[in-house]
Amino acid sequence: MNTPQNVLSINQNYAERYGFHDPEDYFLKAPKGIDHELVEMISLKKGEPQWMRDVRHKALDVFFEKPMPRWGNSRLLGEIDFDNIHYYIKPKGEQANNWDDVHDDIKRTFDRLGVPEAERKFLAGVTAQYESEVVYHSIREDLEQQGVLFCDMDSGLRLHPEIVKRYFGTIIPTRDNKFAALNTAAWSGGSFIYVPKNIRVDIPLQAYFRINAENMGQFERTLIIADEGSSVHYIEGCTAPTYSSDSLHSAVVELVAMKGAHIRYTTIQNWSTNVLNLVTKRAHAYEDAVVEWVDGNLGSKLTMKYPSIVLKGERAHGEVLSIAFAGHGQHQDAGAKMVHAAPNTTSRIVSKSISKDDGRSSYRGLVKMARGSHGCRTSVECDALLIGEHARSDTYPTMDIAEADVHVEHEARVSKVGEEQLFYLQCRGLDADKARLMIVNGFIEPFVKELPMEYAVELNRLIELEMEGSVG
Amino acid sequence: MADTDRKPDATMSIPDEAKVGEVSRLLGESGDLRDARLSAYRSLAVATLPDRVQHLWRFTNPAHLLPGDPAAAAAAAWPVAVAAGAAAAARIVLRAGTAPVVNVSPEAAAAGLAVTPIVSSADLAAHAGDEEGAAFELFRGLNEALWNCGVRIIAPRGAVLGAPIHVRVQAGAGAVLPRIVVEVGEGAEVTLVEEHTGGRLGTRVVGRTELVAAAAARLHHVLVQRWEDGINGHLTARARVGREADLLTTFASLGGDRAKVELLTDLAGEGARSEMMGIAFGTGNQRFDHHTRHRHLACNTWSNIDFKAVADGSSRSSYTGLIRIEEKARASEAYQENRNLLLSSAGRADSIPELEILNEDVSCSHGATVAPVDPAQVFYLQSRGLAPGEAVRLVVQGFLAKAIDRLPDGTREAVAGLVDSRLEGLRGRAA
Repeated sequence: MNTPQNVLSINQNYAERYGFHDPEDYFLKAPKGIDHELVEMISLKKGEPQWMRDVRHKALDVFFEKPMPRWGNSRLLGEIDFDNIHYYIKPKGEQANNWDDVHDDIKRTFDRLGVPEAERKFLAGVTAQYESEVVYHSIREDLEQQGVLFCDMDSGLRLHPEIVKRYFGTIIPTRDNKFAALNTAAWSGGSFIYVPKNIRVDIPLQAYFRINAENMGQFERTLIIADEGSSVHYIEGCTAPTYSSDSLHSAVVELVAMKGAHIRYTTIQNWSTNVLNLVTKRAHAYEDAVVEWVDGNLGSKLTMKYPSIVLKGERAHGEVLSIAFAGHGQHQDAGAKMVHAAPNTTSRIVSKSISKDDGRSSYRGLVKMARGSHGCRTSVECDALLIGEHARSDTYPTMDIAEADVHVEHEARVSKVGEEQLFYLQCRGLDADKARLMIVNGFIEPFVKELPMEYAVELNRLIELEMEGSVG
Repeated sequence: MADTDRKPDATMSIPDEAKVGEVSRLLGESGDLRDARLSAYRSLAVATLPDRVQHLWRFTNPAHLLPGDPAAAAAAAWPVAVAAGAAAAARIVLRAGTAPVVNVSPEAAAAGLAVTPIVSSADLAAHAGDEEGAAFELFRGLNEALWNCGVRIIAPRGAVLGAPIHVRVQAGAGAVLPRIVVEVGEGAEVTLVEEHTGGRLGTRVVGRTELVAAAAARLHHVLVQRWEDGINGHLTARARVGREADLLTTFASLGGDRAKVELLTDLAGEGARSEMMGIAFGTGNQRFDHHTRHRHLACNTWSNIDFKAVADGSSRSSYTGLIRIEEKARASEAYQENRNLLLSSAGRADSIPELEILNEDVSCSHGATVAPVDPAQVFYLQSRGLAPGEAVRLVVQGFLAKAIDRLPDGTREAVAGLVDSRLEGLRGRAA
């Protein structure tokens, strides 16, 4: 770590740490492409009720009918070949709740990724998803006894159909966008969480998503409901092997925070750079509820993800804190949406991005104040740091304000590491590398301090690797 | 899309090719100029209106801005005389279907200022075409093919004009497509006031102004839009700023029903600078849609935008502003600020300030706010004995003052007067 190198990038050791892949040995690998037959097959295999099967079929029609988005990175979007994707792969073995029962190959994978170790140390519950299915799941007993439901989405549908039916697709309707429709048609896996009234889950619940096969499409579906006065923190992480052809990850995540509830949803997205990550995430926050998206985007070739919060109840608060890192060949098109639909609601968006080499990071956001949203406040802050001559940063915020009695602020800054800051630190005896690292660490500090300790340490380490030798 | 809360305007279609010949005949043009119009018309992607998914057209339906019949504007019967008052280097009036009425002051003529009608395609040569190699954007292309009044203004190298050039575009009934071409030579100093007035219900204006500031030139472009009610219009001003040249753009958008204004600035030469300050004040059901685009194409370029909008009644102001710093434009700085003041609960403001930064050696920031009049300021003024309505008036005046102050003499008083007449209504209103 002390030998400065000329060309450094974040995830420079990705291949060795996450980029490996297991031999492909599946219980079922659906042929490439998607049609009604495949949707029927997925639904049958899962033994789903008729209503869900109908939802899937309708969604597939919507997917076929909707055009591709005409905004964002249309070049990379245009490269997606929907006929060259495996939409469903079921790994060997049944879902286990004891780590020892997980199929050996898969267990080795997650061992290598450090998932079980993390669970022992600091998590209240874990699911691990491999390709289309959740292969391991556990939750602390005391939480279970308090009535906290935490399982994969398929089990959620089987065991708690009344809750799933009530909320599924209500936050993000099928017609929301092409990729949400695709997810609704082909979804498999993901997490289902229900936290009963006034229960506070103090330790985070975690899900880890892993793609192993080439040309895989992973479509997990997550639904989190925090009942009145409850609180929960959910963390997800994801990696995939490095292949020469692309995989598609297209999740739909729906959150409901009832009156006075608090949900924090943390994502550390570290897909390999052959994954297109097109995700729809939205939350509804009722009276006095708080929803926070903490969103880190480090990996993937293209990410298009704009976590949204609809503030539906008076005094609800929404927060998005995000950091994007775009290295060589990457485009992080991330942002946030806040819709103020009730009086006296407040929100804050802090977005930090670092573009390095020929990486491109874009902030794309929306703040909407509906008519009648009296006394609302929002502030949006975007900071971008550029490292390298070919780095690119874009800011595309949208403010749509239909009420006079509100306060809306947006600020963005783009700069390179300041010469005078470097000079100051060097005067204090730091070498150029250390000084630069310190500045970058300071830049992302507001984000890192919101992460659980283990993630913060990991992120700092990644940044340290990335910054090494970037002077000269 | 965004303006469903409003009853639909009559939409018009894109004029057909025969109109090109008719307009050309109306103006008694040479065949050369007619051919230039035809080729512009044919290079338009005529059949399609702009894609409304793009931010540029998110807030305005392009069909509402299409001109009707640009050849129908028969030469107005009444003659217009312009006197060259002491306060102007030149006074010019443009009306659809007629030659420009021009009066240049002796001092300006002595300094070499030339104001001429556009008579050949060579007069447009420096400005022909749109973006490098790209097809015309619809409205710029429509003007290129169908402009029905125009003038060319040339300030030669080193000409320093002590007073502003005043161009008034007088809209009548029907379609007005003014074309203004301005060339400011090396080291020359020019103030150009472009004022859009007149019109009546159903008038459509598609205006295009092309400005070129050569090396070390100083150009102040003033764009005042004070149409009557019932007019929809689309105005484009495109400026190319040369090496070490300085462009100051000040604008005030006040009139019309729907007005879309595009201010496109290319910082083309090393060390070029552009400063832009503007205001919009909407009342009733007015719709303003402003777009600015600053492209930094060379090293050491600098730009700053300060746009302030006030929305009263159920009016709406939309702003999209793009700063793009190209990879080769090293050591550049760009700043952009858009502040919106909402005076009524039905007033509305949208703001999309965008940045595209393609190299690291820049300093760039933007800010946007939307808020009502600050109650603390009103309270302070009330505690000094002002009535609530009076206090609000003063706060709004203060909000706009910085931009209005930058307008040249004469124009400043006129714009301040128009703003004040809009503020009259606030006098009786409670805070």
